Amino acid sequence: MALIRFAPRFNPIDALLSLQHELDRVFESPTQGFDLGLSGRGVFPPTNVFSDKDGYIVRMEVPGVAPESLAIEGQGRTLTISGKRETPAPEGASFHRHERSSGEFSRSLQLSTDLDLTKAEATCKHGMLTVRIPKKEEAKPRQIEIKAA
Amino acid sequence: MADKELTTYKKQELTGNELTRPGRTYVPDVDIYETADSLWLRADMPGVDEQSIEINVNDGVLSIEGQVEVKDYENLMPVYTEYNVGNYARRFTLANTIDAERISARMKNGVLELELPKAEKAKPRRIAISAN
Repeated sequence: MALIRFAPRFNPIDALLSLQHELDRVFESPTQGFDLGLSGRGVFPPTNVFSDKDGYIVRMEVPGVAPESLAIEGQGRTLTISGKRETPAPEGASFHRHERSSGEFSRSLQLSTDLDLTKAEATCKHGMLTVRIPKKEEAKPRQIEIKAA
Repeated sequence: MADKELTTYKKQELTGNELTRPGRTYVPDVDIYETADSLWLRADMPGVDEQSIEINVNDGVLSIEGQVEVKDYENLMPVYTEYNVGNYARRFTLANTIDAERISARMKNGVLELELPKAEKAKPRRIAISAN
């Protein structure tokens, strides 16, 4: 399978627009994430998976979720992220609008065998969870130098 | 009783106004509720730093805007996408029962929370019955 990828060029003027186009393009692509086995498409939290030269990055939008309530579990090839989102309101308050849903969530994905789940790291900032999973040492691309003849 | 599963839907794009900067802007989900003293507003704006939030009240219209940091996505190649990334903006017309001078805001875990205190004359007042 030939892999021709459009690498997003970060032109400062429309960096956001080119990122949005790139994400749209992958969203509509027929082979999207076919090997990831991500559970529950369309279920909270919305998840994007990216790759760079060092491994994979899983990003989830989790606004209103306390980082302490997130449980990120790695077992074998499966990464499971679960937690609880609450939308508390004081007693006696009357709602004018309630668009934000609350409840528990759990999503899992299967990663490829060249990723090392034991070295995964997660950060949660501004309601965005980022999990970085590096490639195993032997799977990292090796630079081959050209020797002087 | 089975727990209802949280679901997502495609983010709604802001239509109507064109902005000078290129890129789609989305409408954040909000919860608005009222207590005796104030109106509270909570908007989901994941990925937005509080430094980039702008809250304005102009002519009785409250507008909230937040910008995401595109640099977080530099050099990343998308493999699987469910959501798109964009700035957030939404506008509300305030009733004149709100005291716009005393609006306060804070940001926690990607949720913008605004307190819109009611003007004194709009607060409910209990009228006591005096003994005759």
